[in-house]
Amino acid sequence: MLWKPVRLFAFKRKFDFLGQRKAALILSTLINIVSLAAVFTIGLNFGIDFKGGIAMQVRAKQGNANLEELRSVVGGLGVGEVSLQEFGDPTTALIRIQRQNGGASCVAGAQKVMLNRAGAGWQVKPGAAGTGDVEFTSPGALDAVTWRDAISRVGLTVQERQLPRGTVNTAKIDMSVEQQAEWCQQVAIKEVEDAIGAKYEMRGTESVGPKIGEELMTSGILAVLATMAAIAVYVWFRFEWQFAVGALIAMLHDVISTIGVFVLLQLDFSLTALAAVLTIAGYSINDTVVIFDRVRENMRRYKKLGLIDLLNLSINETLSRTLMTSGTVFVAVAALVLFGGPVLYSFSVAMLWGVIVGTYSSIWVACAGLVYLNLRAEQLRPPEETADADKAGKAGA
Amino acid sequence: MLNLPRWQTIAILAITLLSGVFALPNILPASVLDHLPHWYQQSRINLGLDLRGGAHFLLEADLRSVLGERLTNLSDSVRAELRKQQVPFKDVTVEGGRAVVVTLRDEAQRAKAMEAIRTIDPSLAVSGQGDTLRLAYSDQDLFRRKKEVIDQSIEILRRRVDETGTIEPTIVRQGDERILLQVPGIKDTTDLKRKINQTAKLTFHLVNEDVAAAGGNGPVPPTTYMVPTREGMQDLRRTNPKAWDEIQAANPRLSPETICRRFQPQCLPVLKRVVVGGEDLDDAKATFEQQQGGRPIISFTFNAAGGRAFCAATRANVGKRLAIQLDNEIISAPVVQSPICGGSGIITGTFTTQQTQEQALLLRSGALPATLSIIEERTVGADLGADAIRSGTVAALVGTVLVAVFMFVAYGPIFGGFANLAMLVNLLMVFAGMSILGASLTLPGIAGLVLTVGMAVDSNVLIYERVREEKALGRSAFNSLATGYERAMSAIVDANLTTLIAGVLLFGFGSGPIRGFATTLSLGLLTSMFSSTIFTRMLLAIWVRWRRPTELVI
Repeated sequence: MLWKPVRLFAFKRKFDFLGQRKAALILSTLINIVSLAAVFTIGLNFGIDFKGGIAMQVRAKQGNANLEELRSVVGGLGVGEVSLQEFGDPTTALIRIQRQNGGASCVAGAQKVMLNRAGAGWQVKPGAAGTGDVEFTSPGALDAVTWRDAISRVGLTVQERQLPRGTVNTAKIDMSVEQQAEWCQQVAIKEVEDAIGAKYEMRGTESVGPKIGEELMTSGILAVLATMAAIAVYVWFRFEWQFAVGALIAMLHDVISTIGVFVLLQLDFSLTALAAVLTIAGYSINDTVVIFDRVRENMRRYKKLGLIDLLNLSINETLSRTLMTSGTVFVAVAALVLFGGPVLYSFSVAMLWGVIVGTYSSIWVACAGLVYLNLRAEQLRPPEETADADKAGKAGA
Repeated sequence: MLNLPRWQTIAILAITLLSGVFALPNILPASVLDHLPHWYQQSRINLGLDLRGGAHFLLEADLRSVLGERLTNLSDSVRAELRKQQVPFKDVTVEGGRAVVVTLRDEAQRAKAMEAIRTIDPSLAVSGQGDTLRLAYSDQDLFRRKKEVIDQSIEILRRRVDETGTIEPTIVRQGDERILLQVPGIKDTTDLKRKINQTAKLTFHLVNEDVAAAGGNGPVPPTTYMVPTREGMQDLRRTNPKAWDEIQAANPRLSPETICRRFQPQCLPVLKRVVVGGEDLDDAKATFEQQQGGRPIISFTFNAAGGRAFCAATRANVGKRLAIQLDNEIISAPVVQSPICGGSGIITGTFTTQQTQEQALLLRSGALPATLSIIEERTVGADLGADAIRSGTVAALVGTVLVAVFMFVAYGPIFGGFANLAMLVNLLMVFAGMSILGASLTLPGIAGLVLTVGMAVDSNVLIYERVREEKALGRSAFNSLATGYERAMSAIVDANLTTLIAGVLLFGFGSGPIRGFATTLSLGLLTSMFSSTIFTRMLLAIWVRWRRPTELVI
């Protein structure tokens, strides 16, 4: 034997976990109230995935990124709210621009882009009120093919029929207000590229139009709800309904408090963050189910034991496993936080919280829930062999 | 429990080995890979755009206005047809972008009006009472039309984006009205966006029959130039792939004449003058002949200007061939049978249905049928992708090593070693699974892997902790191992399945990088059920038989 195993989490004393359930109830309630209050007062820092908008990662061609300068240059473009932060290292900045809604400032921006990219003499004017129409005027008469090429410089991809007939110097492009808003995202990206392109290199650009943002939000909420429901149903099938309710409350607790962490740390709530929330829901239940499994086993074995003693016994028996697994996941996630890079940062921090709160909630929320739900041994389904035998008997009769 | 039959041991080892075989192409150098069968080369993990660098666009086609325009055209035809059939009407209007409403002067004329409408399009659904007729396209027809518009747009995008044939873009339909365009490894998205705009150039030219009669060997007058045919180019691609590659890679693009001169594919001499351009072509579709056994044919419609030009050209050139040129290829050169006036005509020949559909699609690819809006854009520069790979790899390695150390310390060299071996087998199986599925590895996917590493050892922790408990109850070494495995099973299955539910739902909901996360997480959980339980059990069974331990050091 090279070395002996070290009992990392071996406790001689048995803890009276559920003796603290009142304190835990107060703590959990407090955490959730604070989280919810934070969500409603401060609000989630939604990333562009859900809110729509533009995020550009730029790196200074020389030296460090000058955030102040960037802020004033990009902020002065009239593209709406702009936020800046250093991203990963001092040479790189992340520019975030609010979702574009179209309108006069966007059309003016489009004109600037045309002047920069298609040459002098171009004019862009808004069309009839209530529509998203845009009218382009070129310095000389152009044919359809040249028109197509010219307006592509501001990111317009129009149907063939919309291009002017013959050789003319104005083109009216029909758009709905919504279409214009989507197009203005492209205009804004180009404006920023033109304004800072000399000093900065574009490393990556993300643009989420208004429509997609709304869709992702809806489907994201649905995904969280569906996941929690599916897991609760699974637990219900495998255990008693009290277990399912306990697990569901623990999951809600973890999901809400994770969202609370996002608000309080003002972490970017993006698609990846949503993935973290779902994974936390899964992880939290993983821990809970292992304890529940032991609870069920012990209930069958020690029929006389009171519920609280029984739960305490089960938690203590599984405690070293709980801490070991949380430990391995914790170090793995810690590696992500430290080395995973800026893109995964929000995700990893949330997961780290999830590991801690998931462990806490399986003991003090899920199991304490069983006490409040008044689970009793005689409510337990017989073990599966007997259940099958029962069924067979009934089928025979 | 620990007495494994020999066949089980062999099966477990075979699965492990097979995983290794399928994961192998990921690390083999290209020089070795080239000598292996094609299907085996394909067994590789694709890097997602966020790691590889590239562009992701979600485009939305404006189908509303396409359908609206179609109704406007329909109302024009209805008006013309009713006048022609001398059916008096008060009004023909387009109603709310859904239907055309005809109001007749005389209710008694209804049957005659219906007749007239049927000649325009027999598939129209007609409703309404008395003097009003409400004409609408059937749902089926609308569905078909939408599909056509999207397919056509995809074809146009493919031709444009992939004109060099080297960048393997992914261009697929997404939902009803969207197109997903992914182009790996490009630096300049401005250029890509411009390419999206530059639709193919479709033109009609007369064939210079005098030159053609000379077999292409005679002098070519300055009014004429040689253009390769599509079939000719495809033959060239088959018979002389090198030449094909050279043509595709040429920058600036080679002119059709140069291609004909240098590579000698099948070419046709055509007059340089353009009879009519693709922008005047309204529609082209694959259909069947009314008489003569319903041969597959292609029908096409010009707008008014195009129709006039086409009429004049065909009237003067009956019996000659009219070449249809798309970019630098002649897609077909049918013989003009009779003057084609009135704006629409057909191309007949010995076509299969598939051929007519392809030709119709090519004809339509001259014009973008719908305005495309970029509703989502994600571009990642190549060096940003490289950064992501670097930080992802470091995080994964550090995470794996930390977990391994943890397990070694907690369960000793033997049991810890078995668990860590299982963890490696698990990683191997995830890689094999992803290679077989052709799944993409994304940055969140790497996070999923790291998480899986942490969670996969959970099964071993469950087992080992249970073994410790059983040992503490005074069971023998062999007995506590066996019972430990048995009793831990239900918790392992429950714990993994619940997390798997989250993983699978995430896969269904997510897109791109998130889907990559769901893939590695779900695959990892699934394979961990094999590696952490079945595989370690085999290791333990062998170990127990070999060492016959009387006391477990765990």
